[in-house]
Amino acid sequence: MTDFIKDPVILMPERHPEPVFSTEELVFTAEETRQIATWVSQYPTADGAIMKVLWMAQEKFGFLPPEVIRLSAGALGMPYARAFGVATFYTQYFKSKKGRYVLDVCTCFSCQICGGYDMLHYLEEKLGAHAGETTDDGLFTIQEVECLGACGSAPMLQITNGPYVMNLTEEKIDALIDALKRDQLPFFSSVTLPQDEDDLGGNRRTDVRDTLTYSAPPVAKTLG
Amino acid sequence: MEEKNGATSKAGDWRSYERVLLPPVRDLHRLEVYEQNGGYEALREVLTSDKWDPTSVTNEVRNSGLRGRGGAGFLTGLKWTFMPPVDPNIPRFLCGNGDESEPGTFKDRQLMEFNPHLIFEGMLIASYAMSITTSYLYVRGEFADWISLMEVELAKAYEKGYVGKNVLGTDFSTDLVIHKGAGAYICGEESSLMISLEGERPYPRAKPPFPAQRGLWNYPTTINNVETLACVPLIINRGGEWFADLGSHRHPGPVLYGISGHVNRPGVYEYPTGMLITDLIYDVAKGMRGSKKLKAVVPGGSSTPILRADQIDGVTMDAETLRDAGSMMGTAGMLIMDEDTDIVSWLRRVTRFYHHESCGQCTPCREGTGWIENIVTRIDEGAGNLRDLDLLIDLCFQMEGRTVCALADAAAWPVRFTIERFRDEFEARCRPSLVPSGGVLTPALGP
Repeated sequence: MTDFIKDPVILMPERHPEPVFSTEELVFTAEETRQIATWVSQYPTADGAIMKVLWMAQEKFGFLPPEVIRLSAGALGMPYARAFGVATFYTQYFKSKKGRYVLDVCTCFSCQICGGYDMLHYLEEKLGAHAGETTDDGLFTIQEVECLGACGSAPMLQITNGPYVMNLTEEKIDALIDALKRDQLPFFSSVTLPQDEDDLGGNRRTDVRDTLTYSAPPVAKTLG
Repeated sequence: MEEKNGATSKAGDWRSYERVLLPPVRDLHRLEVYEQNGGYEALREVLTSDKWDPTSVTNEVRNSGLRGRGGAGFLTGLKWTFMPPVDPNIPRFLCGNGDESEPGTFKDRQLMEFNPHLIFEGMLIASYAMSITTSYLYVRGEFADWISLMEVELAKAYEKGYVGKNVLGTDFSTDLVIHKGAGAYICGEESSLMISLEGERPYPRAKPPFPAQRGLWNYPTTINNVETLACVPLIINRGGEWFADLGSHRHPGPVLYGISGHVNRPGVYEYPTGMLITDLIYDVAKGMRGSKKLKAVVPGGSSTPILRADQIDGVTMDAETLRDAGSMMGTAGMLIMDEDTDIVSWLRRVTRFYHHESCGQCTPCREGTGWIENIVTRIDEGAGNLRDLDLLIDLCFQMEGRTVCALADAAAWPVRFTIERFRDEFEARCRPSLVPSGGVLTPALGP
């Protein structure tokens, strides 16, 4: 019987991997628990709220190691395995620790032909890290991502699932990196509709600080 | 009636077209401004006037000829009639699909930013028409800033009594919940979107049963794109006939064209359907960047077949004409490429997208998208054989229609049509094969 497994596929680890967060850290505050209860009331079953809870957990802990996913599942009374299946499906949930700022450079087809890879390579060179890697100082993670839905403002990137930085140039990247090193996140930029430019003389929103206009994209030097 | 395939626009006098989805009103995204400009009047009329009941609203949408703006172009009013008769014991759901992730598409984001209440109002009227008490607006997670904006505006709408219990003092109650995705292209597929909402790993499921029979939590559900839903208040306000007269007769209404790529003025433009592609490129988007020559157009997002420059003469942006021209309307997110574009490298990036986004549930898609990327990469790097082109075409046929959802089809079409329409460029990159394939796939003879 024992020779049933002649060649074990992998060596099993002796024990579970060391958790990143201690039991004391792994709690939701009273306010967070109330928030979860509100979300649960929005769906017929508690499971529907798992994506919102995972978002909140990621905001709180920075990323989603197994114990945080387990905590999120527990908050909704759903099986850990199911929550794990959800968390590992989506690219925006970080399963490993990232830099303080994650720079998601879009290289999908509109950005590709408008210089997305030029920007990615410039960023990689500037920060000394490849796409998928974190800089040694732990400040930046560079990622190459799929279409972020800002094709008319190519090339562009997104900072840690948050603000979009559009119409990228090398100078703009330099300024952005400097600002991020000082912990200054860019403001939200509203992109003016070309027809608004003609009809309203500019952006229709009066409540935004930064506006961008659509303009002819740069010429791409590399496509891959 | 326009001549078939004639060189005339079906959009009529589009230069004097007045925008309705994104009318030129400053700060229209704020509830106060939206109200001053006739906002929520359609909802009020539908709920309070004797003229309207759920059936007549659905009929009006049906008569308007509104077709879905999310890609498939299905008749919206007809979709609504698929909902089973109301049973007070069985909940019913509506989903607004704002998971815009089709490469080349960026119109929903601007609609959500500049006119979110039109989307809300459309969802509320649709909820009334189908007697729905909970609707979800599913927005892709990357649009975090726009979701925050909409949350603020939705809270205002709740406060003003447009959403929630006893809408506008009537006995109609409905809730609207914004759901934030987390970065998965597949969640734009309707069954995947529903399963994502339910809090499960969002593998699409086979249809039938369609969402109207078994949708969210197995209850009757309707899913519409947010731009589609935004058309609904316009149809109520101005009448289905007005809508049906706008643009192409068989695919009417206003459309947000998202033009990207090598043009002088990319952006989101609102015009009626049936615009000539050449008008959109040379007039609306102010021509090709650097006066280069046009090489190719992808009319509606990455999965719609690419059109060569010589294939777009007289082609208008509506489902029928584009189908005759060998492509699809898709999301009207148009990618314009100039003569310098390397189409092989471009296709390599497209295949990479689908390989990344395949959910991995069905073997033809999981394996097929990966192998397609491998082979196109090999060709792009100059190590491909001529026979690889036939191998790719054969792979595409092995994928199309053989999976649970349409992602495999969407991944195969660009490959099949790009090779078909730019075969010379692919062949120029390939080494000659020692053994002609003749449709028979034999193993390669080594490097």
